Amino acid sequence: MRIGKWAVLLAVFWLLLSGYIQPLLLSFGAASVAIVLFVLHRMDAIDEEPEDVGNGPQIVRYIVWLLGQIMQSSTHVTKLVWGSSSQVSPCLAKISAQDVPPENRVLYANSITLTPGTLSVDLEDDEITVHALQKASIEELEQGGMERKITGIWGKNT
Amino acid sequence: MFILDIVSSILLIAGVFFGFSGAVGLFKFPDFFTRVHAASVTDSIAAILVISGLLLQTSFDLNTAKLVFILLFLMITSPTASHALAKSARHGGLLTLAEAKTENKGADDKQEQAH
Repeated sequence: MRIGKWAVLLAVFWLLLSGYIQPLLLSFGAASVAIVLFVLHRMDAIDEEPEDVGNGPQIVRYIVWLLGQIMQSSTHVTKLVWGSSSQVSPCLAKISAQDVPPENRVLYANSITLTPGTLSVDLEDDEITVHALQKASIEELEQGGMERKITGIWGKNT
Repeated sequence: MFILDIVSSILLIAGVFFGFSGAVGLFKFPDFFTRVHAASVTDSIAAILVISGLLLQTSFDLNTAKLVFILLFLMITSPTASHALAKSARHGGLLTLAEAKTENKGADDKQEQAH
């Protein structure tokens, strides 16, 4: 079932990238998909962390929200770039990611990096070390708006 | 299609502006970590704006899908690259600006005591 989902995803990906529907090229596509699925199957046996195809609507909802955040913080950092450099007060802090389910922690850390002004430096167990351009950004993260958004969409860690 | 062209140019120009700001910040900010922040402006918003501007220039065919793929992969790879840079800098012992200041202060105090 899971392999089947990946097969569909990879086939659609190949078709969109190539756009040709001659039998020769289609068979190349089928062969590549088969090879990738074979490797996927073998790798799952080794790392024992099978990765499922994510659910579409959830990630779309999240990306739309994240785009808004990126807009806001980008304009903020741009203001800092063009303003006087005395406003920059870099600081380092540990943000707890306890409530975020382990499989979404990478998403959380990457979202922190993706919004300008905050940068995830390290991810250890359930703490993310964050470097921020201004103390205000750390406080905002500590209030947990982004964390709540992720736990709201994917559920809380239990 | 005239309106699409206008919206597309606005997006492209805004993207170029943010990309340029990121480059200026890269030179202006004081240390490594803050510079990564400046670069992430170029990474995120400039890439998003430029690619959405280009999306409106396509005739909504396969090229549109390819541009969307580029955007998706950029959104995954660029924070990963920034994170890898910052993490290796941190593990290599690079201090942030605030830490470097206290470190210097401590060293100065020691020197004064020695005198």
